[in-house]
Amino acid sequence: MKRLRASNVGIAIIYLVLIVWAIISLIPLYWVFTTSIQQPDEVAIMPPKLIPSVISRYLPLRLAGEKEAATALVDGALESYRLLFRKTQMNRWFLNSLLISISATAGILLLDSMAAFSFAKKEFPGRDFLFWVMVGTMTIPGQVLLVPMFMVVRELNVVNTPWAVLLPQLSMVFGVFLLKQFMLTIPSELIEAARIDGASEFGIYWRVMVPLAKPGLATLGILTFTSSWNSFLWPLIAIQKSEWFTLPVGLKMLQDQNLVNYGLLMAGAAVAAVPMIIVFLSFQQYFVKGLTLGGVKG
Amino acid sequence: MTRKLNIFLVLVLVLAVSASAFANWTGTITLWDCPRWGNEEDDKFHWIKGKIAEFEASHPGVKIELVETPWAELGEKLSVAIAGRAWPDVVPVDISGAINRSHLEQGVVEALDDYMTPEELEDFFPGALEAYTYKGKLYGIPMSMTVHVMILNLDHFEEAGVEPPENGRWTWDEFVEKAKALTFDSDGDGVIDKYGFSTYILPGYYEAWPFFYMDGAQPLVDNKFGFNTPEAISAIQKLVDLKFVHGAAPIEMGSSDVGGTFRALAREGERFVAIQPWNTWAIATVTGEGVNHMPNIMIAEYPIGELGRPVSIGGAGGWVIMHQRDRAKMDVVVELVKFLSTTEEQYTFATNYGTFPARKSAEAMDPFADQPHMARAAQMVEFAVPLPEHPNWAQIDDRIQAELQLIFAGEKTVEQGMNDAAAQIERLLR
Amino acid sequence: MFKRIWKARSGYLFILPKFILFTVFVLVPIVWSLFVSFQEYRIFGTEWVGLRNFIDAFQDDLFWQAVSNTLRYAVVVTPASVIIALVLASLIHPLRAGAQTFFRASFYLPTVASSVVIAMVWRWIFQTRFGLANYFLGLLGVEPINWLHSSAWALKSVILMAVLTPPGTGIILYLAAMGSIPDSLYEAARIDGANRFMQWWKITVPLVRPTTLYLLIVSTIGSFQVFDRVMMMTQGGPGYATTTIVHRIYNVAFRDFQFGYAGAMSMLLFAAVIILALIQSKLVSSDVEYKG
Repeated sequence: MKRLRASNVGIAIIYLVLIVWAIISLIPLYWVFTTSIQQPDEVAIMPPKLIPSVISRYLPLRLAGEKEAATALVDGALESYRLLFRKTQMNRWFLNSLLISISATAGILLLDSMAAFSFAKKEFPGRDFLFWVMVGTMTIPGQVLLVPMFMVVRELNVVNTPWAVLLPQLSMVFGVFLLKQFMLTIPSELIEAARIDGASEFGIYWRVMVPLAKPGLATLGILTFTSSWNSFLWPLIAIQKSEWFTLPVGLKMLQDQNLVNYGLLMAGAAVAAVPMIIVFLSFQQYFVKGLTLGGVKG
Repeated sequence: MTRKLNIFLVLVLVLAVSASAFANWTGTITLWDCPRWGNEEDDKFHWIKGKIAEFEASHPGVKIELVETPWAELGEKLSVAIAGRAWPDVVPVDISGAINRSHLEQGVVEALDDYMTPEELEDFFPGALEAYTYKGKLYGIPMSMTVHVMILNLDHFEEAGVEPPENGRWTWDEFVEKAKALTFDSDGDGVIDKYGFSTYILPGYYEAWPFFYMDGAQPLVDNKFGFNTPEAISAIQKLVDLKFVHGAAPIEMGSSDVGGTFRALAREGERFVAIQPWNTWAIATVTGEGVNHMPNIMIAEYPIGELGRPVSIGGAGGWVIMHQRDRAKMDVVVELVKFLSTTEEQYTFATNYGTFPARKSAEAMDPFADQPHMARAAQMVEFAVPLPEHPNWAQIDDRIQAELQLIFAGEKTVEQGMNDAAAQIERLLR
Repeated sequence: MFKRIWKARSGYLFILPKFILFTVFVLVPIVWSLFVSFQEYRIFGTEWVGLRNFIDAFQDDLFWQAVSNTLRYAVVVTPASVIIALVLASLIHPLRAGAQTFFRASFYLPTVASSVVIAMVWRWIFQTRFGLANYFLGLLGVEPINWLHSSAWALKSVILMAVLTPPGTGIILYLAAMGSIPDSLYEAARIDGANRFMQWWKITVPLVRPTTLYLLIVSTIGSFQVFDRVMMMTQGGPGYATTTIVHRIYNVAFRDFQFGYAGAMSMLLFAAVIILALIQSKLVSSDVEYKG
């Protein structure tokens, strides 16, 4: 089948636009990483230096025999990170965030997939009503709920513990909605077949739904981890002791009253971005197709 | 008979216990603080931690729990704590922001008049006490004072061949003349790229406001809106004309862009405005190390208008004690706050953190002996007026600033803007 | 009736753990907020005022300004972000794995980088004096625009920023959904003589309807709740030109300390959005199953 030249050109243009757009949207990430290694006096110049001095000038300096200047360049580049890690609690905050985000992701994946299975494939009185109540609660802006949530957390006596941050994250509803939509597309015959074969409800859930919903689960995992990792305002309000701060809260604490230290800000953002990038790259391999039909025997 | 005796004994026991508790209270005090200046390990809380250790050592049984909070979110965190009825004991705020007059009305903040002797009060500047006074009662202990000043880039003055105002004092007309002369095309491409003056307008910030007071106006006079009076309109119009008639201010002037405005004054490589008003924290920033270091500056007063003398707007920072149920605890908390705001501590703050002391004795120690700019700014405190004291001030301010933004964007005339604000503000004043 | 409930007990059991957490941390706070919206909330004792907060909201000029701004924003941004997500995902889906990963990462990761940075980038783009946008306008001989600080352009700038920001979440959701569509369906269509576009239109688009519904609703909710990104760009100004509903609610709650009034406005927002969501769910029925 011969393809028209015009449509080939059209396709090429579309993909060119796509590539350009993709590169442009990487700019903020690029800005974060390069600003974090800028020389202290070159941080946040407008317009920003595309290539930090440490990269563009290190080799020329070494080749010219200017060893000290070259080392000074590296020192300057690492200054923001040095400032960042001088605060000895950084490691603790990083671990706190890691602990909470991993627990939140695991918990959400389990709880939400169970609930989504039920909403998508089971019949019970009040199913749709309960579902829309849950979805409806997403429309209330979080700021309004800060005060009552704070009171709930106090009543439960978990203020100042990681539970104060973790439990509200586990109660988020968007994952149930997301997974329900994914699970809707799984053919009911598979479930029927498994039931006829004598599988328990939990067995159906674990052996049929979960494997088939892997792309949805992977997506939810990424979204949950990043939302938990980045969450700032609620942990700030719920945690009083600095040893339980999460990373975003701790990083904010390094900023002065009136002027933003951009190098420090970016170094913190860079450190914070790394786990999210790792989680993204590991989970997104589950987006592959082919895990669906034909492969599951009852 | 035995029953009555038992009850009597229990009562005696209870009285005895509570009396001894009253004598020597023990327990935990919750203290919030925000990052201050760092030490060698860059611990920005080292000052408060040191003071806490000292206080705990001299008060056995008293434990102070420090809650570290960032400045930007202090208000939100405090509001949630107050609304959630779980507020801390001591907070580093003034009473015009995170804690405002409506909180005072609801009895959430302790009044300290009974805890301060006239001698103690005498040591504080009246302006500092005024900033913490509402309806005649004192609601905090001032630690520092703030005032707004004009910062001048003398390199820019030199480049334009303009003389700075003598001793930092000038009339409005002199100011306009200089601002116009400081506006020019510096690289010869036919486009004006340097300007004499700029500032920003944002609810809760008052850098531009002394200009509006210049001809004698005040925002609230006798509980009536005062910015649509002839004196106010003439003053606002003068600043508007500076931008649109005399062209001495760039298009960004009067927008809400704080960062951009500051960069235009201070950031190396991006400076293009010669004169800007700022709160005194900016002096510390432009005289300190870093990209915002300005080698050649002068601190000047706001220009003098019809009022005949310079005006500035001042405030204070310090400590506020939240409502206490236990009066024995209140005594200890007051002790703590006084301990944190002694003359020595205010001197320490002045030299390390760059704030003006609120105590005359601390100021007498001359903390700015080697910082002429701070010393010059300190002289302007006497011209500072406080902000109005109305419970709804935050909302009133919001309306005024919104109209000002539109006025300085050229979208409304001064009369239109202020009259539009007036209608809404009348409601808020009731 | 109770027999039905007992028979369906596994349905309830599977949602139970989630529902408990949901009730304690979501439902209880919302019910509290609902109660408070009928009161004038004070620290020491509150006062029931019935519908007064709601009446105040209806007479609040700033609330209506915020509603107008938010509607103008949502009406453009919601459909745009869903459509753009669908189109981009459809373009990325047929590529080989390495290219897919590159595009997925470059469209999604920036959203996790830092909203502060993203705001900085956009503020720089829209800066009146040294900004990228006006630089390009200058090249075309057009007068510079006061993007962020003029009433005419402030809201448009925010909308433009939202539309031009790639909808990373939507893209990866659509990609995940498209990944589950069986190849056999496309095979059959190709054999029937359908070209690429027809395959897309007749197979892909209908089969990802569940995801489309999810994104529509979540996007609607997100647009109606927009606050942070606008705050960082324009602080709600100039005047009130870019003040959004949540911004108004936030000020009333945290600046004016009127939690009852804020609660009432939140309830109105809730009612409006839930109606929209239900309408959308009727229009986009997600009764879709992938059969081999």
